[in-house]
Amino acid sequence: MVKLDQINISNNGLTKFFSPIEASILRTLWNDGEMTTSELTEKTKIPLTSVAGTLDRLVKAGYTARRMENVNGRVRYVYEPVFSEEEAATEITTKILDSLVDAFGPLARENFSKYSDKK
Amino acid sequence: MNILSELNCFGTCFKLSSFAPFVALFVVISIALLAASLMLKRPKQRLITFVSAQVAVIVAIAATFYLMNCSYMLTFYLYLAYVVISTVLIFAVLRYYDRIMISRLDAKPAGSVMNWAQEFVDRLTSAKVYYFDSAVPKAFAAGRSIFVSIGLLELLNEDELKAVLAHEAWHIRNNSRTPYLKQLAIMTFSSSSESELEHMADCFAAGIAGREALSSARSKVDKVFI
Repeated sequence: MVKLDQINISNNGLTKFFSPIEASILRTLWNDGEMTTSELTEKTKIPLTSVAGTLDRLVKAGYTARRMENVNGRVRYVYEPVFSEEEAATEITTKILDSLVDAFGPLARENFSKYSDKK
Repeated sequence: MNILSELNCFGTCFKLSSFAPFVALFVVISIALLAASLMLKRPKQRLITFVSAQVAVIVAIAATFYLMNCSYMLTFYLYLAYVVISTVLIFAVLRYYDRIMISRLDAKPAGSVMNWAQEFVDRLTSAKVYYFDSAVPKAFAAGRSIFVSIGLLELLNEDELKAVLAHEAWHIRNNSRTPYLKQLAIMTFSSSSESELEHMADCFAAGIAGREALSSARSKVDKVFI
């Protein structure tokens, strides 16, 4: 997981857990499936300058996978998400609940059941 | 006096002097710093550790000079050994730096993705072309190898790639003719007259691949980096 050590509760959506560029890359891959680098820069409207380094980071962190394709002698990357959105949500939720239990013990558990009762 | 009696004298002085642990300490520190400067990845950290290693060696030599009551020749030998060893080391690292980069980047021969690249470079100089896994468009030469990232292969067309390869091939062709101090400047990552070298490499690349291909390659890569 990329930046799960730094959670910004006040941010919106996925940027609570990821940097804005990481979030928009993951969102695009989750919505539209696998795509090439140029398709990614078009869809996210983020210049290659910012996307290239972030893609390297996401691949290294195991969030996205890429394979090299050779089309008519031209090389290109094709990216795809490693986890589905559901899998990522489960992993993030588990980590946060674990850290709440770690900090507050039984008090946290009490609040979990109150929270699910309310729903 | 021959060097053996010098060493003998050094042993005696070493036992008598209170400087002795000091010298040993600084020699150990300088070797550790030099090893660290080869391992570290960030240019700034490398530069700092490299310079500190030099300072530690100079302190060790100065301390040896004070320590020698009976003869000063050993200081001279030590200094000579230091100069010889560091010169050999610098040239060896520059010559074999590509091996380090191949394993660090997990680079693979470019022949498997674009068969023309190796033949094209063979006509200009004797160097191997490698590609490595990164989306960031990058090309550089080290030792007798040219490295290009997959990001660069994605971004540029064949003519533009030829311009980039010719530019890097020029660097390799001229590495042996680059004066020693420039080599040292590259080694320590301080850019003394690098822009002049880059300009000459560009002139060569423009002659081989055409000025248009070179400038469009430049503008594509510059757009990414500026």
